[in-house]
Amino acid sequence: MTQTRDLLARVAEKDDTAFAQLYDAFADRVFRYVLTLLHDRHLAEEVAQETMIAVWNGAHRFAGRSKASTWIFGIARNQAFTLMRREMKAEKMPRPELVEPDPSHSILRQEKVREALGDLSTEHREVVYLTFYEGLSYGEISGLLGVPEGTVKSRMFHAKRRLAEVLA
Amino acid sequence: MSKCRDIVELIPWYVNGTLPANEARRVASHLVSCEACRDELVQVMRINLEVKQAFADVESIAGTTKAEVIERTKGKRLAKIDLGSFLLGFSFGASYHKGKLPVRGDLRLLGRRIPLISSTREAVNDRE
Repeated sequence: MTQTRDLLARVAEKDDTAFAQLYDAFADRVFRYVLTLLHDRHLAEEVAQETMIAVWNGAHRFAGRSKASTWIFGIARNQAFTLMRREMKAEKMPRPELVEPDPSHSILRQEKVREALGDLSTEHREVVYLTFYEGLSYGEISGLLGVPEGTVKSRMFHAKRRLAEVLA
Repeated sequence: MSKCRDIVELIPWYVNGTLPANEARRVASHLVSCEACRDELVQVMRINLEVKQAFADVESIAGTTKAEVIERTKGKRLAKIDLGSFLLGFSFGASYHKGKLPVRGDLRLLGRRIPLISSTREAVNDRE
């Protein structure tokens, strides 16, 4: 965590080596997070790219009130929703489906899990992703999403119930 | 029952290990005496593993993206001046990038950097 803060401080000084390290640590995580929101690899790549550029340009504005990773995910989320609104206007938004499965992992069970995740609403899937894949606390998720902690718990409660029904 | 609902709501974060110590203790002591919540714990642990795997199975970001991003960060530095030391100092920099001329000036005080001048404006908010 401190390491990320140090990297961000160096990126604020326009240290390109630090930026390359920060990119390696976060670009793929940002991409995966955005993919859970947008369901489209190309759009997710675009958002991941814009997010990392925004980090490069805005690192000096990180005030340290949250974890550096939460700050970066916050930028990604804003970028994703901005793009989502733009695409909705242009009616280019893809149907909410999960990404094409990797053929090497086309085990029935995994397929079922993917489908179950794809059937969740974006809000529910986002909380599931941030909790189980990113390992964020409900407080951190609340801060990132700008919703009360009770809302985060409630979204998880309903998402979990739905997943349990489908995956029973 | 409402006690169980409170506990059930916390179990995902008990499983991912981010509950504050007092809440983790409350969940643990409830689990000792409640079979239904223990079943819930097992179910959430299974969901945790399967969901994590499903998210991990997604193909990574394209390898070519890094080069594109790095390329976009490269501006041509016009000037950089550093005065003082790590404890107290001032730095000033100007560069050229895609028709823009970002200028930055920072005060360094006891290792902290305090921005004084910044002409770059991006839509980035530290809102947490």
